[in-house]
Amino acid sequence: MEMVSRDIDADVRCISLTGRLDAPGADRIDLAFTAATVAWGRQVLVDLSAVGFIASMGIRLLIASARGLHAKGGQMVLFGAQPLVYTVLDQAALDQIIPLVGTEQEALARLAS
Amino acid sequence: MNGSATSLRLQVEPDRTALEPTRLTVLAFLAPHALSARAVYAIELILEEVLSNQIKYAFADGAVEPIGLSVNVTANRIELRFEDRGVAFDPLQAPAPPGARSIEEARVGGLGLGLVRQFSHLAHYQRRDGVNRLSLSILR
Repeated sequence: MEMVSRDIDADVRCISLTGRLDAPGADRIDLAFTAATVAWGRQVLVDLSAVGFIASMGIRLLIASARGLHAKGGQMVLFGAQPLVYTVLDQAALDQIIPLVGTEQEALARLAS
Repeated sequence: MNGSATSLRLQVEPDRTALEPTRLTVLAFLAPHALSARAVYAIELILEEVLSNQIKYAFADGAVEPIGLSVNVTANRIELRFEDRGVAFDPLQAPAPPGARSIEEARVGGLGLGLVRQFSHLAHYQRRDGVNRLSLSILR
């Protein structure tokens, strides 16, 4: 599991995740992901297009970070989930609490709305 | 059915470091069986969620013993069976987490077993002779 953070502008950051967001993967990026989202406290897009697998520990990491970010006035939007990853996120009803859209453009539009 | 082995039995140490080698062993066993991507995903998800739950809770108040895991491939499905001598617990009856409608009320626990139920085609639990036996089937 790897993550790359790229600041689109002063208020919007895009974090690209690559690999498996399973229990070992979530453990591996937990601190760095929390620092790049909650500690930053502004708007965050999370690119899931290179995530081939997600399980509940990965979803927990996304929810915990999104909640911490929200408490600081920021917002998280997810985009680009592959079909099976999308199925898991959908069955966990994640899109009820964190917006989940198809592309980076849609994610940026969602932040602006 | 081809000439590949159709059943695998493992003893899994109840420790999180066992998750990854167990997953890789099961995937290597299943590789010759040409399963759908969805079936492979479901198997990986179920392995992670069920084993993680057993590791976390089954031996909270007693002796720690290996978890029995068997994988059987039939003509149209994969059957996973988990056995442990830990605390009696039916994961199929565990309450689903309350649905959250906002990020403020979202809770981070309890998702895993719900996903196990949703990704299993058939599921059966039995407690017998001090052993939890959980059987789950996934369509190929």
